[in-house]
Amino acid sequence: MDTAYIRFENVTKSFGAVPVVSATNLSVARNSFVVFLGPSGCGKTTLMRMVGGLDSPSSGAIRLDGEIVTSPDRRRGMVFQSYSSFPWLTVEGNINFGMRYRHDLTDDERTARVTHYLRLIGMEDFRNAYPNRISGGMRQRVAIARTLAAGSDVLLMDEPFGALDALTRERLQVELRQIQREERKTVIFVTHDVEEAVFLADRIILFSARPAHVLRDIDVGAVLGPERPLEAREGEAFFRLRNEVLHMIRNETGGQR
Amino acid sequence: MAAGLFAFRGKSSARTDVLLGFAVAAAVILAWEAVARAGLVHPQFLPAPSRVVSAMWTMATTQNLLWHAFVSTMRVWVAFLLAAVMAVPIGILMSSYRVVGASLEPIVDFIRYLPVPALIPLSIIWFGVGEETKIFLLWLGTFFQLVLLVADDMRRVPHEYVEIAFTLGAKPRQVLTDVALRSMGPTLVDNLRITLGWCWTYLVLAEIVAADSGLGFVIWSARRYVKTPEVMAGVVVIGLIGLITDQLLRALHRRMFKYL
Repeated sequence: MDTAYIRFENVTKSFGAVPVVSATNLSVARNSFVVFLGPSGCGKTTLMRMVGGLDSPSSGAIRLDGEIVTSPDRRRGMVFQSYSSFPWLTVEGNINFGMRYRHDLTDDERTARVTHYLRLIGMEDFRNAYPNRISGGMRQRVAIARTLAAGSDVLLMDEPFGALDALTRERLQVELRQIQREERKTVIFVTHDVEEAVFLADRIILFSARPAHVLRDIDVGAVLGPERPLEAREGEAFFRLRNEVLHMIRNETGGQR
Repeated sequence: MAAGLFAFRGKSSARTDVLLGFAVAAAVILAWEAVARAGLVHPQFLPAPSRVVSAMWTMATTQNLLWHAFVSTMRVWVAFLLAAVMAVPIGILMSSYRVVGASLEPIVDFIRYLPVPALIPLSIIWFGVGEETKIFLLWLGTFFQLVLLVADDMRRVPHEYVEIAFTLGAKPRQVLTDVALRSMGPTLVDNLRITLGWCWTYLVLAEIVAADSGLGFVIWSARRYVKTPEVMAGVVVIGLIGLITDQLLRALHRRMFKYL
């Protein structure tokens, strides 16, 4: 595949004697939104972490733009569910964090970028607020802005909205999808929430229980298209696909529940 | 404002808290004064607080009490800073690098459990009865505790912070200074404050055994002549220094970590 930006080549992973990921081959196109869906603890997070260079495969390799991934760098940023923003820095300080290590930017450019990303996440008024003074949803927005400001091409998101209330989560899903399209980023998003997966994804990779292997590769974009306004989750196509995915999970992993 | 005081886990204002603290302290002192004045206890056991205060005044004006207090404070701070300057980097290294942690932890754990008083004779053999012995004993009592506390603070830095920093382009050194140290800052300063308090315990011990100056010496000499008011005055001075230092460090903590 020519369009492969991230490529998993026969990737396996075991922690000690415990196999977590069994031979996985996968390629992710540039600027696509890919969701790793699977039961909790199935190894999908480990796969994503390996893209970030935070874990290394036991065998096989992961390539980013043809180059084997060995260690983390700013091209791939992580967004976690908790401890996502640094409490000792203001919103501005958090967004600026990764840019401190970039010598190709002038101070003016840094400030301009901070302003740009603050506007993108709609938080201009919270520039000088500390993370424990803002809501959980805002903290996740800040984490996303910080990753983008650092110059990441790939966002690795580990159940980032898992701790949020349902309404905030919906809103953030819409915003994330918009940001991903506008900023033209590649996203790998890990979740076990089927609805979230269907709403966000261009493509869902459905994983088995541990050790993870790919059960299905679902082309969501072909059904729902690229635009995902809030109303998309009320359409019939959305419901049908969601139910289909739920059935797949029940059929494939049902025996293990 | 007063309603919250009596509610389980209720809230109250900072001013009410301070007032309450002072009121209770005053009540205790008044009760003590009353008991002593009524002659319920022999003054040699429990002199009235007014007697303690007047003894403190005499000691301050004629017996160099302030100089003794200064000497003791200096000993505490020199030993404490020495312990802190060594313990902070070593503790951080112990949690950052397996090899350092694994090699040092058994020794540190062993020495940590040695009671400082048991080492006084050894310390005198090694260092004589001069300042070195006192500094050494205080250092001994705090360094090994502090190392483990610092190591623990470092270990508790959420791994997420470290990984986020790496994926934002930070190098290990920058992760240490820009993330780990910042993240552990509040607990580190707290632990330093608490350890400083322990120094005073060991100080009095060291000054009782081998000294001709300092508050421990003052207390111990007064005891020899059963001058109970002066013994108490010495103890109260230590308490006051402790209280003031603690409040100052708390204020510093609030200033340093405004985001909390």
